[in-house]
Amino acid sequence: MTTAISVSGLVKGFGSVHALDGLDLEVATGEVHGFLGPNGAGKSTAIRVLLGLLRADSGRVRLLGGDPWADAVALHRRLAYVPGDVTLWPQVTGGEAIDLLGRLQGGLDPARRAELLERFDLDPRKRARTYSKGNRQKVALVAALASDVELYVLDEPTSGLDPLMEATFQDEVRRLRAEGRTVLLSSHVLAEVEALCDRVSIVRHGRAVQSGSLTELRHLTRTSMVVETARPVSGLAGLPGVHDLSVDGGRVRLDVDGDALDAVVRHLAGAGVRSLTSTPPTLEELFLRHYGEDLHEEQTPAAVRS
Amino acid sequence: MTGRLPSVTGTGTLLRFALRCDRVRLPVWVAAGALLVTVQSVSSQALYDTPADLAAYAASVGSNAAAVALAGPPVGLDTVAGAVAFEISSFVVVVAALMAVSTIGRHTRADEEAGRTELVRATRVGRHAPLLTAVLTAAIACTATAVAIGAAATATGLPAGGSFLLGASVGAAGLVFAGVTALAAQVTGSPRATQGVAGAAVAAAVVLRAVGDVEGNGLVWASPIGWAQATHPYSGDRWWPLLLCLAATGALAALAGALLDRRDLGAGLVAPRPGPPAASRALTSPLGLALRLQRGALAAWTVGLTLLGLVYGSLAGSVETLFVDPQARALLPDAASLTDAFLATTLATTALLAAAYAVSAVLRARTEESEGRAEPVLAAAVGRPAWLGGHATVALAGPAVVLLASGAATGAVRAVATGDGGEFGRLLAAALTHLPAVWVVAAVALALFGLVPRAAVLAWAAVGYVAVTTLFAGPSGWPAWVDDASPFAWTPAVPIEAWRATPLVALSVVAAGLLAVGLAGFRRRDLVTG
Repeated sequence: MTTAISVSGLVKGFGSVHALDGLDLEVATGEVHGFLGPNGAGKSTAIRVLLGLLRADSGRVRLLGGDPWADAVALHRRLAYVPGDVTLWPQVTGGEAIDLLGRLQGGLDPARRAELLERFDLDPRKRARTYSKGNRQKVALVAALASDVELYVLDEPTSGLDPLMEATFQDEVRRLRAEGRTVLLSSHVLAEVEALCDRVSIVRHGRAVQSGSLTELRHLTRTSMVVETARPVSGLAGLPGVHDLSVDGGRVRLDVDGDALDAVVRHLAGAGVRSLTSTPPTLEELFLRHYGEDLHEEQTPAAVRS
Repeated sequence: MTGRLPSVTGTGTLLRFALRCDRVRLPVWVAAGALLVTVQSVSSQALYDTPADLAAYAASVGSNAAAVALAGPPVGLDTVAGAVAFEISSFVVVVAALMAVSTIGRHTRADEEAGRTELVRATRVGRHAPLLTAVLTAAIACTATAVAIGAAATATGLPAGGSFLLGASVGAAGLVFAGVTALAAQVTGSPRATQGVAGAAVAAAVVLRAVGDVEGNGLVWASPIGWAQATHPYSGDRWWPLLLCLAATGALAALAGALLDRRDLGAGLVAPRPGPPAASRALTSPLGLALRLQRGALAAWTVGLTLLGLVYGSLAGSVETLFVDPQARALLPDAASLTDAFLATTLATTALLAAAYAVSAVLRARTEESEGRAEPVLAAAVGRPAWLGGHATVALAGPAVVLLASGAATGAVRAVATGDGGEFGRLLAAALTHLPAVWVVAAVALALFGLVPRAAVLAWAAVGYVAVTTLFAGPSGWPAWVDDASPFAWTPAVPIEAWRATPLVALSVVAAGLLAVGLAGFRRRDLVTG
């Protein structure tokens, strides 16, 4: 497995503000990597460092085997970028902006351009001044997706798109993955990341708090269970990894840590399971554990590597 | 007020907010106006401290067409105070006019384009409230300018009545241009077009006033600057021309308010047409993009300075016939004709305007960066030098185009008038002589952009500096190094002085050095948005 992006200990400050505080990020070639975090976590700053638009204060950053600051132009020929907040030239039409960005990047495929304009339902003759936020976003998406490159850096690319266009976008990303391209997808839309990404890095306060495949991350979360048993269950509260237990006769509700599931299920089996509903953890819950429970912040594992 | 006129509901709150937003910008404009008057008053009083000095001065400028074209009607020159008003009023009026244009432009269409007006109008704010707020903000700024000028002139020892009339005339002329800009904001298609049309109106007012004063016809009455100067501060103190200014402002603002009801938010009365669905081959490189973004401004400046060149060229013909005072001739260098003295002054003025254009072209790069539009370009396979090089090329070649066009216009008019074809080449070369000095000013802006992007706007201070030292070089009382620090001081005053290559080469080298500093700084620093 080769590495498309490798970041370790990246620090970037603006005056007294530490936007990035020792960020680590590994993106393998050919994967769709989710870059998740709340607003202000440092995702866009990290991406701008990766693009050589900002200079790292310290840390090691490698992009497609090169140094993003020193080799910016050579590297940019091999990647396409969609900014989080797309601003265009007010007097330039959408079609002109797509062509300009495509040409500056190294050329785009006219057939793909036409197909993407059609799929995203974008009128290229309108001046950017009259575009809505979603339409500006589409301009940047068409310019990036019509480029034939190795790496796509997409910073919250679906903000402003309607659900239909989001589905179109997801189709396009799946197509990129099928072609073996690498995608770094920054987002705070969890459903999008769950639908598209092979692996995920979660960033908060300028540091990666977790990183791994979705399966691996689910081990870190709790599974919710509702169980009806033939005989009353006892001793559940004493088991490690059991939380929020409530027993109502033969009906038990509980949350179980990923690594304690086996022991809990064995224990329940002894009471004769009649029905069992288990809800797998969602990334929402994963997020809540990291960003909602400030009390447990110190106990959060710093990073889990695959 | 707001209870009976729902269309202006919320103006009070918006006005307080607008003044808060402009709490640095407007005081700087006001102080600039007051400072110009103060400097002029102090230096004039030092220079013309005897009646004989004053009489010599009055005789020389009163018969100097260049002075009249630049300054205004030669009235009240029998007192130092009148001399101060003569020397400075036309410049301070332009400062006040530009302040009004930029204030109205920012608070109307620029706010609309940025989406801020939409946010505000969705609250309990009337349709006309943002426009009224802009006009009131400009009115407060103009009033402050009037008071500051009056107080500054009085403090330097000039008669209080005339001083405050001088201030009021400057503020009143500024108000008229606030009205002009408010009207332009309703008609034009974009914020840049609004500022462009209003700026052109200011330029037209300057030219109409200059032609009217030199030719002695009634054309001054077509110019709000002419109205302001018709007050004759310190010599007659006529207040009634101010009523013309106020009436015009009221009419323009009312018309703007009426047109506001007929246009959509964010759009002008002129409907936009669909554009090309694909980019032409011209839009392929960073330079192509810079040219596309700046071509409108370049065309406007070229047309404007070409017209100015035509006007100066035709006025030059009147110099010999209208101003034949032998005393004035005696003051000039032997070999030089009055016409050449006139042309030397007007060419330097044109070069100052070209320098202002050059700085605005450099600052366009900063706008691209701060508004986030440089980011997608630099994220493509475009290096920092190529991106900045595109805008720098426009900022360095643009003034050459502008000076070439203006010099060619003046030269053509003179060649036809004198029947001497050699005049064309001579005046074209004279106009281009100023190019290296203009490049130095542009390069200062580029160096600031590269080193301290957030302070790049300070490049306007460099323009102000060369303008003040060039226009007031003669009567100034400041030390020699103040003049010598300006690149314009090193440019030979062709055609009255001989053309010399050495200073021009030196200026070009300085410009190249500053350009290198700017490029190196930009390569090393972060992209600074917002």
